[in-house]
Order: sequence, then C-alpha cells, then structure tokens
Amino acid sequence: MVSGKPSKIKILKGGKNFNLFLVLLCLTLVFLGKLDLVAVRNIKSFFSDFLAPVTYAFNKPVKEIAGVLEDVKSASSLRDENIRLKSELRRIKLLNSKVASQELELFELRELLKVLPKNKNNIVTGRAITAPGGIFANTVLINAGKDYGIKIGQPAISSYGFVGYVVNVGLKTSRVLLTIDINSMIPIYLTESNWPAVAQGQNGDLLIIKFLSSDAKPIDGEVVETSGHGGRLPPGINVGKIFKSFSGTYFVRPAVDFHRLTYISIITNQKKNIANLDGFQGFAPLQKPKKPQVLKGLDSSGTRKIERVED
Amino acid sequence: MIKNYIIAHILNGFYKNFIYLIFLFFIINFEKSLSFFSLFKIATPSLISIIIYIFIKKLNLVPSYFILFLVGCINDILMGSNLGTTPVFLILIKFFSEGLLFDNFNKNDRQDWISFTVIFLASFSIVFFINILLNSSLPDFSPVFYYVGTTLIFFPVINLSINFIFFIKRLLKS
Repeated sequence: MVSGKPSKIKILKGGKNFNLFLVLLCLTLVFLGKLDLVAVRNIKSFFSDFLAPVTYAFNKPVKEIAGVLEDVKSASSLRDENIRLKSELRRIKLLNSKVASQELELFELRELLKVLPKNKNNIVTGRAITAPGGIFANTVLINAGKDYGIKIGQPAISSYGFVGYVVNVGLKTSRVLLTIDINSMIPIYLTESNWPAVAQGQNGDLLIIKFLSSDAKPIDGEVVETSGHGGRLPPGINVGKIFKSFSGTYFVRPAVDFHRLTYISIITNQKKNIANLDGFQGFAPLQKPKKPQVLKGLDSSGTRKIERVED
Repeated sequence: MIKNYIIAHILNGFYKNFIYLIFLFFIINFEKSLSFFSLFKIATPSLISIIIYIFIKKLNLVPSYFILFLVGCINDILMGSNLGTTPVFLILIKFFSEGLLFDNFNKNDRQDWISFTVIFLASFSIVFFINILLNSSLPDFSPVFYYVGTTLIFFPVINLSINFIFFIKRLLKS
C-alpha cells in the first residue's frame, strides 16, 4: 500500500498498473454516480449514516470558533444594530395592525369562494451536520432520515424560506440539495409582476432565472415564491428577491443564508395533501352542476309529463 | 523468521497508511468546515492539495494512491459531490508532484510556490472540465476563482510555517 518504500507484496506495491486501475475506477464511479443507480444511492446513504457522527465531531469545534468570532464582530456594532432594530419594530407594529384586518377579509373571501383549505404541514426538523462549502456541489447532510418518514423529493425549509429538496435518504441521515446548487431547478412565481419561471442554481450566491416570458418585466426587489407547478413543491414558500445586475440581467438572491444553516425542516406530508381531494367540490368558477330537483308530474325541463295508463 | 519479517512489514505498512488516512480525513473535514467562517463563505481553500504536496516534496512522506482514492471517495460521499471527482483530483496532485519535470526546479520557496501553482492548476483544470461535462452547464466563476486564489495564497503561509517549525527544531537540537 505504501508507495514510498518497496514492499514484498506485489498487489500492495502501488505499481503503475494499479494506479491506472484506480484512475479508471474513479472514472467508472463518476459514470455510475451520474446514472443515479439505486445501489449506488444506497451505498452512499449507508456511508453517510456511518460517517455522519465523525464528521459532526470534526466540524463542531470549527463551527463553535466561527460562532464566537461572529459574536465578537457583531458586538462592535451593537449600537447601530439597536437603532436599526428599533426602527424595524416600529415598522412591523404598523404593518401588524394592517395585516390583522386584511387577514379577516381574506378568511371571509376564502369562505365565499370555497377555496381548498390549507392542510397543516407535517414538519420534521433536523440539525445540519455538514457545511455547504463546495465549488462543485452544494448539499447539506441532516441528522434525520427514513426513521422520521423523510423521502426523496420532499421540500426543505428554514425560518427564512426555501432551502432545497431531499435527494438522498439514509436510515439516520438525509441529504438536501440546496437551491444554489447547479443541479437544482425550482418552479418560481414573481409575486408582484405575476409571472412564472424556473430558478436554477449556479454554485454561486445567486440563482439564474430561466423560462421567463419575454413579455415579463420583473421588478427589482420583488419577492419570489415557489409556484407549486409540477406538484413536487408546495406553493407560496419564500425563495428570495429579484436582483438586477449591472448588465441588466435578473437573478434571484436567496432569502436563506446557506452558510448559517443550523436547523433544516423537511415537509413530510406533501403527497398526502395532493391525494386528499376526494371530498373537494372544486373552485367557484368550475363547480360541478347540482342535480336538478324534479317535481312530481314534471320532467327536468319543467313541462308536464303525460303518464300512459296501461290497461 | 522471514515470515515474521513479512508480517511485521505488512503491519507497519497498514499502521502507516491508517495514520495517513485518519490525518487526511481530518484535513479534508477541517477544510470543509472552514466555510463556517464568513471569510470562506464563497469557497474554502484546498488545504488537502497543499498538505499532499508538502508531504511529498518536503517531508518525503508519500501517501499511497489507494489512500488518496479512499479519502477522495469519503469526501465525495460526505459532501454529496459527483462520486469519483475528488479521488481523481487527489491522485493527479500526487502524480504531478512526483513528476520528474519539477524535481530539479524547486530549490527555494519561490520556486516551490510556482511549482505548486502549476501542479494545482493542472489538476484542478482537469477536474473542473470533468465537472462541466457531468453537469453539462457552466457554473458561476466567482467561487472558482476565489477557491484557486485562496489556495495559492495559503500555500506559502503553510510552507513558511513548516519551515519555521523545522528551524525551531534545528535550533533546539543544536
């Protein structure tokens, strides 16, 4: 195994053939990984489960030190932070009174239109084990897996908004693909200009907007939410805000700070919501026609029925 | 007698490689956890490539290809990146570091830095190209440049620190 000193065992010697074999094995692994085979996925999740506690133990001291440094840094700007928070509190109090009246109105309108009531989401929250640092992949491992009912494809959220979705599940751990990853594509909705689009990660800080209509005129700073198109992700989760670059291209700046993720929640009852449509009558414009009540002696059009009495 | 010698040699090799594996695993974990610091929010420097280069060139401790393959695979599994890309990167770093091209080149620290830059850029370019092929799209270049830049800045810092440790050691001995 050690190639520094000559060994008597030929297999472990690390000859040129063995090195070539390793390189070929790597390329085969790359190919197999891209095929997304169930066996490879299972092996990955097994090793993730196995190594997660070790990684957590290695990461913990660095995370704590980084936290202390951040605290020290924020302590120097306490006065400015206090002034900012006071003004924000004043603004929130003002908004709160408006929201209370609008909420009541919204509730009444929903009742009137018989909008499908929102089901309460079943949420499982796990702690992030790994940091999302990587130039080729942006994923996070969390310490909750199959034993908590987590499945592939379920959406992950934090207190700030949409984080990503589950791509691999082990018994004790799950891997969440972050929205900033190059392989992540999420259907979005521009809340002010009312246009649907798709946001794709590019392994950087911003998400690129794709499939946006040429007629659309996004507003700089408008809120972007998940549209729910395709049925995989629930609608209305905050993704971020529109950001206009110097070149005039529009991007989405995610609401979540992915490098400060400590807890991630997984919405585990997505399929149940979609399937639970049996008793649903439909939205107001498309309601099913009710069966007409027919009076005795009259047909459905209201004309008198002539009954033939058989002799 | 010869049998005992062979067993002892195997055990010694196994022990050495196990230590290498643990050490490199620790380094790769430390490298990834650096992203908790706001300075490395965009990308973390590749400490593992610096360590492997210094191991080979300065300390004459050569980790085997198999160990590098294992460490790379573990990293890919834990970080969720394309399986097989990190082992290729680590193997290339070792391959280029052992290359005869640079043997007579690095005599002082500055030349060492240039040598590392060439090796790192060559290995990284290949892996970067593989990743572009796999994802079939170009990523954002700012984290890539940050990654390369911080790695090349960190190399002389680590190199000088090791030189300083050796200097102290020699001083204490004398």
